[in-house]
Amino acid sequence: MIEFKNLSLTYPNGLEALKNIDLKIEQGEFVVIVGLSGAGKSTFIRCINRMTDPTSGQLLVDDEDVTFLKDRQLRKLRTKVGMIFQDYNLVKRLSVLRNVMAGRLGHTGTLKSLLGIFPQKDLQLAMDNLERVGIRDKAYVRADQLSGGQQQRVSIARVVTQQPKVILADEPVASLDPPTSHKVMKDLRRISKEDNLTTIVNLHFIDMAMEYADRIIGMRNGEVVFDGPVSEVTEETFEQIYDRPIRVDDMRGDETDGE
Amino acid sequence: MANNRGDKNEKIRIVSKKFVVRTIIALSVVILLYIAALYRTNADPIRLVRGFGIIWDMVFTDLLPPDWSYFSTSFEYLVETWNIALLSTTFAAIVALPLTFLASNNINKNPHFYRFVRSLLNFLRTIPDIILAILVVAFIGMGSVSGIVALTIFTSGILAKMLSETTEGISQGPLDAVKASGGNKLQIIRYGVLPQILPYYASYTLYVLEMNVKASVVLGFIGAGGIGQLLNRNMKFFRYDRLSMILIVLFVTITLIDFVSNRVRGYLE
Repeated sequence: MIEFKNLSLTYPNGLEALKNIDLKIEQGEFVVIVGLSGAGKSTFIRCINRMTDPTSGQLLVDDEDVTFLKDRQLRKLRTKVGMIFQDYNLVKRLSVLRNVMAGRLGHTGTLKSLLGIFPQKDLQLAMDNLERVGIRDKAYVRADQLSGGQQQRVSIARVVTQQPKVILADEPVASLDPPTSHKVMKDLRRISKEDNLTTIVNLHFIDMAMEYADRIIGMRNGEVVFDGPVSEVTEETFEQIYDRPIRVDDMRGDETDGE
Repeated sequence: MANNRGDKNEKIRIVSKKFVVRTIIALSVVILLYIAALYRTNADPIRLVRGFGIIWDMVFTDLLPPDWSYFSTSFEYLVETWNIALLSTTFAAIVALPLTFLASNNINKNPHFYRFVRSLLNFLRTIPDIILAILVVAFIGMGSVSGIVALTIFTSGILAKMLSETTEGISQGPLDAVKASGGNKLQIIRYGVLPQILPYYASYTLYVLEMNVKASVVLGFIGAGGIGQLLNRNMKFFRYDRLSMILIVLFVTITLIDFVSNRVRGYLE
């Protein structure tokens, strides 16, 4: 469970990225955050694993106040909260398997990890997760040999191998074409449901948000302007969130587009 | 108005008058510098032409034929030079690695400490290797150990400087990924940074090895061991036949090392 209590974040340049956010996300929910670029979606997500630091209020993860965690406690939080990035953030020169094993670092002792010694059961876990995203046969291929969609699946396998309780995904499909975007989102949703993970995804495509979310949170100028189950969301809701009429490029398109 | 279009009889130049004036001034300054240099060094063309005769004699009566029997001695000292270069490069590579991370602003986030390490590296590089070697020889005496110590100090600075510039240019993404999965600083370096800089690390180390082979020859002259010491000794005794043997050995070896190293580095980068 994640709870925002009156959380605000003001950047040193004076930009108020988050304004008094108050909400609760239950374990196992698949939440999509929508909003235009600059609305504060990224900042919202990056507060939860403290890749950015809130300036006031309180943030609870698993009933633990994480607002001011430091060093060891902070790393412990981050092993519980995994992250997926827009540009995959794989080490291109390393094999797929090594990249996936990077997800185990938080659980591996420093000395052992520096020497590159991983327990057999962790390697097994990594292989199983590659299987779940359908690219087990690529385990020993260099990451840069893979297509964008495959690389993003490697990063899903990496984050699941971390065995987190929460997955944060910051625009995970923004660099992919429509059919690949859908495949990646399907994998992400399936796996997070199988493992009962809380998943929070930033998207700016309306149709994808509607298709994959349980719950949608709309943001504008650092404020939450909508929060509700996907069944309550209509086109007007998005017009309200975006503060303008819906346009064609707010849609990703369906699975046959661009093929 | 006719004035606006200019005088039709006036020649059109490809460059502006200002450019011509500036060029003439610059050229005059350079020529003056040359004249001053000639005057101060008492160089005159006639001496230069006469000098060719001396060079001729030097090459064809003194240096040639080489004393082929001196090959084994030359080779023995060459091996010492190679060993000095190899050991100092190895030590430098080991010392440079932690220095590199301290001298990279995307890893060492403390601005004061970062600037201190950077200044230290810059300071190390301003001392010419030969001065460093003279100091080290004064401290620990003649011999190859002095050469190794001097070259290790000198080249670890160079290596760390080159490598830290590469490190500051790597992509931040994989570092964020390791950090976001709960990795500590050392794990970030090992799994985010190291894989990205490894080919450059190997390449720069080879480049430093090339440098160290040449530098250790020179250092031999001031008593830091190796084939330079042999070269110096034979020059003092006017044994130019032996000198030419040493030079041939050196030429072949350094060409070979440079060739191999360049090939490998081309493959790495």
